[in-house]
Amino acid sequence: MTREEAAGLLHAYVDGELDAAKSVELEAHLAGNPAARAASERLREMSAAIRDRADYHAAPASLAARLRASVPTAPEEIPRRAGWGAWLRPAALIAAIALVTWVVAVVVMRPGEDERIAQEVLASHVRETLGNRLYDVASSDQHTVKPWLSARLAFSPPVADFSAHGFELQGGRLDYVGGQSVAVLVYRRRQHVIDVFVWPAPAQKAGQALTRNGFNIESFAHGGMGYWLVSDLNRNELGDFARLLAAAP
Amino acid sequence: MLPHLDAAFNLARWLTRNDHDAEDVVQEAMLRAFRFLDGLRGEAKPWLLTIVRNSCFTWLQVNRPAELAGFDDRTAELHLVDEGSPEALALRQCDRRMLNEALAALSAQFREALILRELEDLSYKDIARITDVPIGTVMSRLARGRRLLAESLQAISNASQVHR
Repeated sequence: MTREEAAGLLHAYVDGELDAAKSVELEAHLAGNPAARAASERLREMSAAIRDRADYHAAPASLAARLRASVPTAPEEIPRRAGWGAWLRPAALIAAIALVTWVVAVVVMRPGEDERIAQEVLASHVRETLGNRLYDVASSDQHTVKPWLSARLAFSPPVADFSAHGFELQGGRLDYVGGQSVAVLVYRRRQHVIDVFVWPAPAQKAGQALTRNGFNIESFAHGGMGYWLVSDLNRNELGDFARLLAAAP
Repeated sequence: MLPHLDAAFNLARWLTRNDHDAEDVVQEAMLRAFRFLDGLRGEAKPWLLTIVRNSCFTWLQVNRPAELAGFDDRTAELHLVDEGSPEALALRQCDRRMLNEALAALSAQFREALILRELEDLSYKDIARITDVPIGTVMSRLARGRRLLAESLQAISNASQVHR
């Protein structure tokens, strides 16, 4: 190996990006060449200095809070066109009045508890699928997932496998919804991930289906537990799954 | 809870060099990321950082075009063989403030390569994808960036010797 070749590979070597064969070749060159060895040492020191001493700017809590508030309901951008200004103003006024009326109607007529929970479970589902952190305990065995969750919660969520029906148990995780710690059971149907949020709910509740941002949501309460299902699975199959869960012993 | 938000902010903060601007850029980029969730292929972190990085460069082009002007990878040819020992000494003596200043003074392309490599621990392949250049360019930017950093640390160190 020539000096030039070695110099060109030095950074990749220090960064651990050389394949085994090239590494061996370069190490042989370094062994017989003190100047190149010193250069590689300096590169290591430089790398370590940046890692140890350069500031890592973690996101401020206020930014995370703002994002959390806006993520599940991020409004679509309205394309603007030139020449529409004359139409836009009365249109905007009407839209504003409609919005205020709607907000007042929603606030006065419904407590909005269900909608709030729907947004929270949806946000959790989107975040975890985006981050690839689907479960804290990965297992298709209900007898592994259930005790893991029970040990960390003040209740014991019912966990069943429905792989015979095409809904495979993948694992479980913990989350925080509606002001309490809840269990999340993760199932998979084909390539679709289904999150099932479970927490104690004393009152029975009939099934309810929602669609938010293209995700389907099902909720019901049965046998002392409230269930919220979130997935990009189609509405019919998610409804089937909700009925399966509700019928489980 | 938001995945990779710290990595997103760290990159944007190093590219804009300002907390306030970084917050604005990251907020916009994250909302875009959520809107285009369908485009997610493979790992989430490089995908998200690609969006954040592009938002940063768009923002820089609009607000501080001078910082991006005049950059040419051809000037980033390797001159590696000749690193002298005074630089090593400067590196050992430099403190946090000096290192941060020197790093912030690098041009954006060298800075982003070093931040993604050393602070986010990403592979050359991921860095190439995020910064939209070939892997060979990532290698030469890292090499040139480290070399410039060493030189500027030495300059800072010399200057502070004079003042003592």
